[in-house]
Amino acid sequence: MSKTRSNRTNLTSRRTVLKSLLAGSVVAPFAGRSLVAQEVFSEGVSDNQIVLGTSAAFSGPTRGLGIELYRGSTAYFTHVNEGGGLFGREIRQQLYDDSYQPDPAVTNTTQLMVEDDVFALFGYVGTPTVTRVLPLLKKFQDRKFMLMFPFTGAQPQREFPYGDFAFNLRASYRQETGGLVDNFVEIGRERIGVFYQADAYGRSGWAGVRAALSKYNLNMVGEATYRRGTKFTANLREQVEILKTSQPQAVICIGAYAACAAFLRDAVDGGLQVPIANLSFVGSENLLKLIEDSQENSEDYTKHLVNSQVVPSYTDDTLPGVIEYNEFMSRYNPAVPEKFDDDQYTTFDRSFVSLEGFLNAKLMTEILRRVGANPRRLDLEEAVFSIKDFDLGIGEPVSFDTNRRQGLDRVYYTVVEDGVFVPLRNWKGTFS
Amino acid sequence: MKITKLFQRTVFGIIALFGLIGISTSVLSINAVDSHLSYEYQANSEGHARTIADASVDIILNRDLSSLQSLIDQFLKIQGIEYIYITNENGEFLAHTFVPGIPQSILDSDVSNTETVQRTIRGMGDFVEVASPILAGVAGTVHIGMDLESVSMKIQAAIGAQVYLIASVFLIGIFAAIWFVNFASKPIEQLQTYAVGLAKKESDDGNFAKLLERKDEAGDLARLFQYFSTVSDPEKLGKESDQPESSN
Repeated sequence: MSKTRSNRTNLTSRRTVLKSLLAGSVVAPFAGRSLVAQEVFSEGVSDNQIVLGTSAAFSGPTRGLGIELYRGSTAYFTHVNEGGGLFGREIRQQLYDDSYQPDPAVTNTTQLMVEDDVFALFGYVGTPTVTRVLPLLKKFQDRKFMLMFPFTGAQPQREFPYGDFAFNLRASYRQETGGLVDNFVEIGRERIGVFYQADAYGRSGWAGVRAALSKYNLNMVGEATYRRGTKFTANLREQVEILKTSQPQAVICIGAYAACAAFLRDAVDGGLQVPIANLSFVGSENLLKLIEDSQENSEDYTKHLVNSQVVPSYTDDTLPGVIEYNEFMSRYNPAVPEKFDDDQYTTFDRSFVSLEGFLNAKLMTEILRRVGANPRRLDLEEAVFSIKDFDLGIGEPVSFDTNRRQGLDRVYYTVVEDGVFVPLRNWKGTFS
Repeated sequence: MKITKLFQRTVFGIIALFGLIGISTSVLSINAVDSHLSYEYQANSEGHARTIADASVDIILNRDLSSLQSLIDQFLKIQGIEYIYITNENGEFLAHTFVPGIPQSILDSDVSNTETVQRTIRGMGDFVEVASPILAGVAGTVHIGMDLESVSMKIQAAIGAQVYLIASVFLIGIFAAIWFVNFASKPIEQLQTYAVGLAKKESDDGNFAKLLERKDEAGDLARLFQYFSTVSDPEKLGKESDQPESSN
């Protein structure tokens, strides 16, 4: 039995070396490292590296999310790698761009699993992409791939039949939408409309709002949709008019920053001046930048905003994890990945998305540490389950077990003050 | 191309006949292609609706609606399918593909109806909508809207190819008929010229040697005309009195 396993490992190693030499598949992301092509990889691990596979939006109208999430992760991984790595191995991300589109995400993931043979999938962005990738994890379940901490709060990777192939750190969209509805209802804003992306992400948030309202025997009063990939320059007055006819007292947006910023602009201009809430996925800083860059009196628009977040504010310097994030972001100031940098995107010094990427990387590093000096995918799940009351430095202990594959549950609410998202402390005072 | 008066009617008759065949074949073909493709598109859409309905049961009962949305989004890529919506047993919309919102005409319709209907949706166009019940209707209904314009374009393209083929055959047939008629009428023209020449006593048999040597009816007639010309002319009678006999 052991002989068979050993032979298989040798075969895999030889195959991987040959592949590396012929196709340069592992060489590409580590350009500049001498002798990399001679490294022997098995399950994404060599003597010098552990490779995590990432497919995310690095181009298109949602690229800010993929880029900022990557920058946050890179800040922490760079810190680890500069300290000698884990058991002498650097943590590296093999990156592919899916532009937040499902089909490229499936192609990239197949590449990462079949050709690149990475250790685990990490840093994925988006519901429509992740939802389509999940069946691949089941298809290759004998190879024990895990999807670690995707940037989506949707349910498919949290429940049967794919829940066993993923671990989440962030709170779910159900928790985010549930919290928003609870707070709106509490301040008497029971007529809630929904503006959402016409895909799996939008539907996930829509379902969350519907479920939360049903607790109060309420229904959403109106709904309007937009197509994924809508740009800020798009005209969304039609959606505003649809929602206006239902006379909502609040609107919950389930979308990405470009479309949600366009909706905010057209809603305020169109006289729909009610609180407009966005989920964490929106990319708060990207949204705010679009509004501030395009509108002279941006406060007229941002005063209606309330965004839910799944990480604390990066301005909260009482939290050691946030202090560490700020320090590492200043020290390393990670750049846009070179192969996706077209000089068109301006990075943010700080953002909720990069903080989430930072925390994902911090927890991933701890898990890899617990996997041990001879990492095997087979041991990854047990290593995650060994995480009990782990302190990420944000005041929320993280635990996992067989029945709990999501680390955090807390949802934070933020509003814009002086051009920055800050914690919302008084719902009634702000929106009554 | 000059056609003898004798054959003009024949040519027009052939054109009329070809035209009739062409038009009737086109009409039959158009009708067959139209009904066949329309049926096929509708049958395909009904098949897609049944597939979604079957796949939806587990999702509606056990899973998050984002999975349902992801499922219908994939079907939306199929050519001709313009919208999909799924309602539950209470008529509530569980997932749909409409942007910027669910059209009022659909909100006002009976969403539990599984009959195929034609719809005109303001701002979107004309559609054929097929439906399939989920779990015999107790879990809801799947509706698929096919863009009539897109389906019509496909059918028109198929019909256009058929008509193009028939029209090409028709034109080739006409030109061939004219050529054949012209080919057949040439000896008659020569015969006419020869006969006129004989009547005017201007005809030179040397110029019509080929005509006189023909073994067909034109040759027989030419020789007959030559004989009549000879017997009616006393000068020639003495010299060529035995010629008609030799021609037979």
